[in-house]
Parts: sequence; C-alpha cells; structure tokens
Amino acid sequence: MTIHLSIVLWLPAVAGVLALAARRFAGWVTLAGSLLAFAYSVVLLIDFNASSGSLQYVTDEAWIEQLGIHYKLGVDGLNLALIVLTTFGFTACTLWAALERDVARTPQFFFWMGLAHSAVLGALFAQDLILFVLFFDLMLVPFFFLTLIWGPTPRPDRVRAILKLFIYTLVGSLLMLAGAIATGVLSLPNEATTFVLSDLERIAMDEGSQRWIFLCFAAAFLVKMPAFPVHGWMPDGYRNMPLPVLAVFSAVLSKVAAYGFLRVVMPLFPDAAAEFQMLALLIALASILYGSAMAFTTTETRLILGYSSVAQLGFITLGVFALDDAGDGAQGAILQSVNHGLVVLPAFFIVGLLAARAGSEDLRDMGGVAFRAPVLAGLFLIVALATLAMPGSANFVGEFMILFGVFDVKIVIAIVAFTGVVLASVYMLRMFIRSMHDRVGPSVDSRDIRVRDGLVLVPLVAAILFLALYPQLPLEKGEQTIPSRVQSARQVLAGEEIAVDPREAAAEAAEAEEEAERAREGEGREP
Amino acid sequence: MSIAWYLAVSAFIFAIGAGGVLVKRNPLVILLCLELMLNAANLALIAFSRMHGTHDGQVFALIVMVVAACEVTVGLGVIVAMYRRRLPVDVDEMRELQG
Amino acid sequence: MTSVKTFAWLTLLFPLAGCIVNALGYRVLRGKAPGYVGTAVLFASFVSAVLMLFALQDLAAEERHVRAVAWDYMAVGGFDGQLALLIDPLSAFMTVTITGVSSLIHLYSVAYMGGDRGYARFFSYLNFFVFSMLLLILAGNFIFLIVGWAFVGAASYLLISFWFRRTTATAAGIKAFVINVLGDVGLVLGTFFIFRGTGTLDYLGAFEKAGEISGGDVTAGCILLLVGAFAKSAQIPLHTWLADAMEGPTPVSALIHAATMVTAGVYLIARMWPLFEESESAAAVGAIIGCLTLFVSATIGLVVTDLKRIIAYSTMSQIGYMVMAVSSGAYVAGIFHFYTHAFFKALLFMAAGSVIAAMAGVQDIDRMRGFRGAMPFTFGCFVIGGLSLAGVPPFAGFVSKDEVLAYVADRGDWHVALVVVGYITAFITALYTFRLIFRVFFGEPSPEARELEEGHLHHADVPRNPMTGEEEDTDVGFPGPEHHIAEREGPMKGAMGVLAFFAVFAGFLQIPNVTDALDTFMEPTFEGSRFHEELHPSDALTFGGLAIGAAFSLAGIAVAYLIWMRRPEIAAQVRERFRPLHTLFVNKWYADEALDRLFVRPAAWFGRFAQQTFERVVVNGLFVGGPVGLVRAGSAAVRSRQSGFLRAYAALMVVGLTGVVLWLLIRA
Repeated sequence: MTIHLSIVLWLPAVAGVLALAARRFAGWVTLAGSLLAFAYSVVLLIDFNASSGSLQYVTDEAWIEQLGIHYKLGVDGLNLALIVLTTFGFTACTLWAALERDVARTPQFFFWMGLAHSAVLGALFAQDLILFVLFFDLMLVPFFFLTLIWGPTPRPDRVRAILKLFIYTLVGSLLMLAGAIATGVLSLPNEATTFVLSDLERIAMDEGSQRWIFLCFAAAFLVKMPAFPVHGWMPDGYRNMPLPVLAVFSAVLSKVAAYGFLRVVMPLFPDAAAEFQMLALLIALASILYGSAMAFTTTETRLILGYSSVAQLGFITLGVFALDDAGDGAQGAILQSVNHGLVVLPAFFIVGLLAARAGSEDLRDMGGVAFRAPVLAGLFLIVALATLAMPGSANFVGEFMILFGVFDVKIVIAIVAFTGVVLASVYMLRMFIRSMHDRVGPSVDSRDIRVRDGLVLVPLVAAILFLALYPQLPLEKGEQTIPSRVQSARQVLAGEEIAVDPREAAAEAAEAEEEAERAREGEGREP
Repeated sequence: MSIAWYLAVSAFIFAIGAGGVLVKRNPLVILLCLELMLNAANLALIAFSRMHGTHDGQVFALIVMVVAACEVTVGLGVIVAMYRRRLPVDVDEMRELQG
Repeated sequence: MTSVKTFAWLTLLFPLAGCIVNALGYRVLRGKAPGYVGTAVLFASFVSAVLMLFALQDLAAEERHVRAVAWDYMAVGGFDGQLALLIDPLSAFMTVTITGVSSLIHLYSVAYMGGDRGYARFFSYLNFFVFSMLLLILAGNFIFLIVGWAFVGAASYLLISFWFRRTTATAAGIKAFVINVLGDVGLVLGTFFIFRGTGTLDYLGAFEKAGEISGGDVTAGCILLLVGAFAKSAQIPLHTWLADAMEGPTPVSALIHAATMVTAGVYLIARMWPLFEESESAAAVGAIIGCLTLFVSATIGLVVTDLKRIIAYSTMSQIGYMVMAVSSGAYVAGIFHFYTHAFFKALLFMAAGSVIAAMAGVQDIDRMRGFRGAMPFTFGCFVIGGLSLAGVPPFAGFVSKDEVLAYVADRGDWHVALVVVGYITAFITALYTFRLIFRVFFGEPSPEARELEEGHLHHADVPRNPMTGEEEDTDVGFPGPEHHIAEREGPMKGAMGVLAFFAVFAGFLQIPNVTDALDTFMEPTFEGSRFHEELHPSDALTFGGLAIGAAFSLAGIAVAYLIWMRRPEIAAQVRERFRPLHTLFVNKWYADEALDRLFVRPAAWFGRFAQQTFERVVVNGLFVGGPVGLVRAGSAAVRSRQSGFLRAYAALMVVGLTGVVLWLLIRA
C-alpha cells in the first residue's frame, strides 16, 4: 500500500486550483504541477519491476463500502507507458499555453488544464470499475469549458460543436455507466457487490449479459476514439478547440478508450469479445480506410491530423482485437498508442506555427516555408515520417506488431489494412509538401521558429527519436502484462478450456503482489 | 360532530381557492386564492388528525403554515417589485416562458 | 572478429555523423565546408569498409558470418528483433563498392553543387542516404533490412525533391516515395510469411530453417519480397518513378538512381538465396520480370530525348540484367555486374551533369550538338562510360554482362529465351548509347557549345523548368545560378578520372579462365547453394557468349554511326515506318497511364466520395441529423402545449389532479 499514485494523480489538479490564486503566474504554477507529475511518472517508469506481471504501487481504500466501490489505484505494464505519455503530453501543452502571450489567458484556463490532467491520470490509474467510469466522464468536463470559452472560432460555432461533442460522448458514457453497474450487480449474485477489477476478472459472467454489456462499453470507447462511423463529432470538435487543448485531446484522450478495451472489456467479457471480434476488426478496417481517404482529400490541416487519428486508432483497435497467440497485436496497440500520442502533439504544434506564417490553417494558403525555416522543416519532416510509420520509427514497430498479430489470425484483414500504410504516406507527405515545399503561398511570411517554440517542439521530437532508437523500453515494460489481458478472450476464440482456474491464478497473483510489496517496503526504496 | 362536515367545509374552501386561481388575472388575488387552498388542506389535515387521534396531521399543518408564510413573503416581494417597475400586473401578459 | 565488428560500426556511423554535423551546422559551416565534411566522412567510411573487408578475410572461411549486436530492438513475445549487423563476404563487398563510389560522387558534388543555396542540406541528405544504404546492406535481420530499405526511400525522396520550389520535383518525389512505400509493404508482408514459417527475424536463423516453411508460404513470401525489390530497383510494373526521379540534382541521379539504391533489389534477392532456392516459381517470376524490364526500358531509351532520362532507362535495363541473373541462381555474376555498373553508370551521369551544366540546365538532346571540341575531358569520360555500357571489349561492362548471360544460359531450358532477349537488348543498348554520344558530342556545335569554345559558360537569361518550360521561382529552393563543368573543376575531374579508370579495368577482377577472385571471395556466403555449385558454363559457352556479345555491341555502334552520323534521314524514315511502335515507346509503354487508371484514380475517387458524399449524407446526415431531427420533432410537439398562459397551466393541473383522484376513487 503506497500513497505515491495518489500524489501523482492529484498533483496537477492541486496545481490547477493554486493557479486560480496565482493570477499572472497561473500558467507557471500549473506547469510546475505537471512537470512534477511527469518527473514522478518517469521515476515510476524506471523503478517499475518489468518482470512481474502484477499491479504495483497499489493504493486500495474502501470508498463506498455498501456498494463495494473502492478507491483503488495501481500501475502495471498496461498503463505505465500511457501514464508517462499523459504527463509528458500535458506538460508540453501547458508549457505551450503558458508561453502564448498574445492570446488572453486567464487562471481559469490553467485550472481546467490541471483538472483535465488529473482526470486522465485517474482513468488510467483506476483499478475499480466505477472509479474508472467516474474519471472517464470527468475527462470531458474540462474540455467542455476549454472549448466553449477559448475556442478560436465564433461563439455560436463553438457552442454547436461542443454540444455535439458532449452529447455524442455522453450517450456513450451513459451506456458505459449502465454497463458498469450491471457488471457489478450481475457478476456476484450471491455475494456482496464489488467493482474492483481484479475481483471481477475472476468471475465468468453468463454469455447473454456479457453480450449487451460489451456493446455498451464498446459504444463508449468507439465514440471516444473516434472510430468510423461514430466520428461525426470529430471534425466540428477539432475545428473549434484551441490548439494546445486539441493537441492534448487528440494525443491522450483517444488512447484512454483503446486502453479501456484492454483494461476492462477484454478480461471481463471474454466470450463477447471473441464473439464480436470480427465486427470490431471490420470497424477498425473501415476506420483505417475511411480516415485515410478523408485525410488525403481535405485541405484543413487540423482535419488532416484528425482523420489520420481516426485511421491510426483503427490500427490500434485492430491490434486490440487481433487476439493472436502471443498477444503481439495487443502489445503493438499499446506501443502504437504511445507513438501516436507523441507524433500528434508536435504535429498540432506545427499546425499552429504554420498557421501563424500563412495566416490560415488551410493547406491551399500555405507553401514554400522550408527554405527560410529550415529548423521547422526538419522537425516537421521527422514528425511527418514518424506519423506515416516509416520503418525505423517506433510507430513502425507498433504497426508491425499489430499487423503481424492480425496476420496470424485473419490474413485477409491484415493485407487490406496495409492499404492504410500506403495511404498514410500519401496524406502526410501531401501535407508536408504543400505546406513546406512548392511555390510560396499568397500571403505566407516565412520565418523560422523562435527559441520558445523550440522549447516545446524539440523535447517532443527528441522523445520520438528516442523511442525510434529504443522501442524495447516500452515493449519490455508491458511484456508480462499486456498479453495476459487478452488471454481469456483468445482462449475462448480458440475453443480451449481456460487452462488455469482463474480464481486460483488471481489468488496467486494477489499473493505475489503482496510479496512484491513487502519486498519493496523492506528495501525501503522510494519510487 | 361527524368528520364529513369538516371535510365538506375544507372542500368548499378549496374549490373557492381553485376557482379564484383559474379566473382571476391579478397576481395578488391569485396569491390570496392559493392561500385559501393551502388552508383548506390544513383544515382537512387537522380534521383527520383529530379523527385518528395522532399528531402527525397537526405537524404537517404547522409545516404547511411555515412554508406558506415563506411563499407569501417571496410572492408579495415579487409583486411589489413588479409594481415598482411599472410592469403590467396581469398574469396573461406575462408569458415569456412559452415554448 | 572484434575488429570486423568495430570497422562495420564505424563504416555505418561515419556517414551518420556527417549527416548530423551538416544538418546542425548549417549556419556555422561556411562556403564549401559542408561539402568537404561530407566527403571526408565518406572517405573515412570507405577506408574502414576496406579494413573491415580485410579483417573478414583473415577469418577462417566458415567463420565469415559475423553478427554484431548493439541492443534489443523489439524482442518481446515471439519476436527477436535486435539492432544487429551481419558482415559476410556479400555485405562486405557491397559495402566497399558503395562507399567507394559514393565518396567519389560526394567529391564530384563538392564542385558541382557549389553555389547552390541548399549546399549544407544537400550534403546532409547525401550522407544520410549513404548511411541508410549501408544499413540496408549490413542489416543482420529483416527488421533492419526494412528500416534501411525505407530510409533509403526517404533519402531518395528528399533528394529528388531537393529543389522543392519546382512542382515537378515535389510531384516526382511523392511518386517515388509512395511507390517505395508500396515496396516496403511488400517486404513487410513477405517478412510476415517467412517469420510465420521460421519463427525468427534473424537472417542466419531464418535461412537455416528455410526448408521448414510450407511451400505456399515460401512462394508467397518470396514473391512479396520481389515486390519490394521491384519497387526499389525500378522493375516493371513499379518502375515509373525512376524516370521522374531525374528531377533531382545530377549527382543524386548518379549516386542513388544508378550506382547504389536501385541495386538494392539485386542485393535482396542475392541475400535471400536460401529462400528463393526453395521456391522455383518465385525465382522464375524474378527472372522473367528482369528480362522484360531490360528489354522494355531499352526500347524506351531508344526514343526519349531527355539526356538524363535516357541514362535512367539504361539503368533500369542494366538492373534488369542483374535481377535476371540473381533470380536464375547466377548470384556472383549479378553482383559482379552491379559492381562494374556502379562505376560506368556513375561516370555517365557525371559526364551528363557536366554537359547539362554547360547547357545551363537544359536536358533535351535535340538542342545539344558538337560538344566534343568544347569539352574534351567530359567527352572522353562519356565515351569510356558509353563503351563500357555498350559492352565493348575489354571494358568492364563487357566482361560482367557476358558473364551474366553465360551463367543464365547454363541454366538451360526456358532460360535460353531470356538470354536471347538479353543479347538483342545488348544491341539496342549499344544503339541508344551511341545515339546519345553522336547527337550530343558530334556535329555542328550548338550555340552553347560555341560559347564554351570561346571560353564562356552559357547562362540562361530566365531560368526555366526543363520539364514544363515554366519560369522558375528563383527565390530559394531552386538550382543555384552558377554552373560547374568538369573541365574547370578539379574535384569533378578527379572523381570522373578515377571512375573512368575503373570503368575500363574493374572487369579484370573476374575474367573467365584467368581469374575468379570474386567467385572465391563470395564462396562463404553462397555455400550450400544448389546453383552456385552447379552453374559452371563450359568454355565454349563462355567464349562463344563473349564473341556474340562483342559482335552485337559493335554492330549496335556501327548502326548508330550509320543512322546518326552518315545518313541522318534514316532516323526519320524509320520513325515514319513504325509510327505505332514509336508512339508506344515514346509514351513509355503507357505504364504511367495504367498505374494512374488502376490505382491513383480509384483512390482519388474514393477520397472524393468519402469527402463529398458519404460524410455529408451518412455521418452527418444519418447519425447526427437523424437523432437531432427526432428530438426536434418531439420537442416541437410538446412545445405547442406551452402557451405561457399561467391560468391555462393551472386549469390543466386542476383537471389532471381531478382525473387522478377520480381514477383512484373509482378503483377503490
């Protein structure tokens, strides 16, 4: 039992509250909070024991005892990398916002940023189903206000867009809430209700209930990603968010949905997951093709990135539902989530820089910036190549594992999905060429980035390069955990009897967990 | 005395109040009629309390009085404010809440 | 063993270091400094490659497969991907050749690109390209093969659209990149098939288990690997990008699109020989496509009029020979031809660059004449390169091309047909090479050549895009205003001189019945190969082949002389006689149009459909509009009851309550 995770979790929110009082220094206070959380999460990453497949740094308090709801937080190989991505992404975007002087920024903006940060972390840490649902819905609130108040478009547009976004995701969230409550109630008819995930995983629910609860959860996650065809909120939402907010929204929030599949859906509803595998794969495939096609026809730079995210999330979903023997697909999906977050953050930042030079975010108004802005061009090139999953980037490793996972199981789907790889090169290069190369646009004022732009952009690109050189780091941290999340669904699919009695296995895991905890405390190591 | 008489009086007063609310257009009069309806209900409550020999009904009647007093205070305040601002004091004119 | 590894890493890291220094130091490095940095690292890399080769030779023959591992790259689940190099005779030989030719091309570029405003950027890209190429060659497993493969594609893209203000250059760049990505996809899928069969990504492990892969998988895997090879080596049907790639600066054409990158496919097939020997049909596909390419591209080379594009088509044609050779089991012959080709083709491109500089950027041979007097050194180099390309004895190209054909002929069976096409193409090759030489260097000097004879280098008044004739955006990202020709620049002269030497003598590495140095050297790589042991052309076949080859090429030169020097009207007559054939050749066998119809247009149509129809009708109409409409209709119905009349509400309440009470009473 440790308190570390609670500290990381609430640090940004506390910083956000302090920011309200800090007036002129609001940005820096929130930044300090995010930075501390980031540092803390890096220490967690280093200290994390990769050879153990169980939860570490667990905090477990009974919260609402009558209902069996616990305040249980924990880290394992599944969420570790995403946590670091979250703290890193929020730190970068807070810094970006704090550096923007010309736009009116108020302490309130940073308060919402801090709260959003904590909400996302909470959703990732949560090991209790209700806690997860709570944080998952809480994530939306700060973005509602951030878009409504600070969006770059005229107010009526903003209101319409954010309402659309809100209603879309809320419908999904309500379905998920219903599903979560049903899970708790239905899984233990004779004992006291519990919502702790590790307890729920031990129980096999009957297939009929699994089916509709699975669909509820899937609806919530697919809307959040977004996946084709429920991405209707995405274009409007993307157009109307302020860029730093959009960057973090696109980079981090969509990943929570993919994570939710592996954390909640796969181990809890293995029968339904196996049953609906084909449907999920087809949705993923449609997202890849449709997102790519949209990305290479639209001229709005934000939407190119938005639709490319639809396609990339399609790949991630493909990996989650690959259900191959070695769990390569799921591992690739988590790696790809981190990678996609890391490329989208600088990409949106670059969109901001380009818009400042061209006077508009439309591709048709851009062009020819590269010569006078070689640093910008170079950084953008790296980001663009990583986005199109160029071999040698970690994105390629992720895609390689995902596609091999699918290839192992459903070869035709893997081959069709490769079309998405080719199309990705078309839309990313098109964006790069039309903004950086070709003739100079009509009112383009080309100049290179300033030092403070570099302050945000360079660490992001450095992170991309680091992962490109050593993707083994996130991979080996997740090696023990991730494949086991999809194991039971895979066994159902293969028609195997679930080999180990799940109750026993879970008891053993709990024992090992305790032992590890004791060992940790004995050594007196501080994470 | 049979409880029926009490209830009859209560119903009669209630009907007067309800009729007043329906036909009058002045908010002050409507408020008065509402008071009539509340007190009719009080009368019924106390009558039943007496019949059953318990105090529950009386407690309720007291609470209703307190609430009615609050309501009258607020309602009168609003009406006085409307007079001051020279707004039309006619419930048919106040229909901004229509869909 | 350790020294081999050390030198291998050094060879790889020198160009990378050069790339990074030039990229970061673009403001600090002044004048020609980036060029010298770029060239120096390449020479260092060459030296260490040579040392690596010698260190490898010192090992016992069966130990000449050195694996150098840096760290685990993706070693989870069933994967065993490490950042690993494999140094064996094949990769060592390729490394030495590539670093050698590349350093000469860098040297040439120091002068040729002088005055260009993207000078540091150019050398950074060029260094990066060599790094990628070496990664591709030295990679010890499929993962880094793919990584190198894609890096090379990216470097090629960057260099093709180096002058990025030209829309033709950026269009050519994206075309090359996308086709190369298509090749990458083939390679990755092929890797999947092989990995599924062998369970390892490591070369040596996979080759050992090559026999265990099921027949269908190995054929599918090899054919998909071939897709990768075809895309990179510009073989039919993925060849259309190479001609467009000539938009890049000439040294780029020499380095990437002649000497090194495009031969990656040849290397791939040679490297994967244990797999291809398991799959007869995949190897046959390779051989036939190679043969088809060598013929088709030679016919195109015969009719196009763009100086660099003619040489590009001849490159495709020569790579066709190599692909045919390695797919037929004549591995060493194919690698040998790669080696000689690197010298003479780089030389030809360099000489062409010199001529284009003298023409101030014009590439159309219709406008060039009589440069012989004005540019004697360039002329000499071009003729040496041309003779080597045409396969005239005793030039390097003669020896290697005839070795390829002799070995393929030794396979017998239907391979003989391939050889016949090979000889016919040798004739066409000589024909178009000398068409080029006679038209550019002989005859009445053109105004530009005259100007040069008088000691002044021609400069265009208004720079125009040689492809479209459109006026250039002269601000930046455009060829620099200066031009440099070999006659006046020491580095260019030096580089071309060395290459000319090798274009003549490189073939002496392996002369039938005299030496077989390369064959012996390559032995450890191809040990255990069926074809490597079986294929030994008889003396009659070898020398007969040499004689036929020499005869065909001399005949080609003679015909070229007749047509373009003695009786120029013949060319026009032939063109009239074979009008449909000429149209077909000039339009490059309509390959661009076919690809456009088959892939580009359907994709664009799908994009437009998604954008303009589907998103509007289904996503926004059905999924968003539908529920919104329902809610609207429902609320409109309820809203009409909300009149705003307070007394109406009160009446409604009274009626409702009365109803409820009555209902309760009746029920009671």
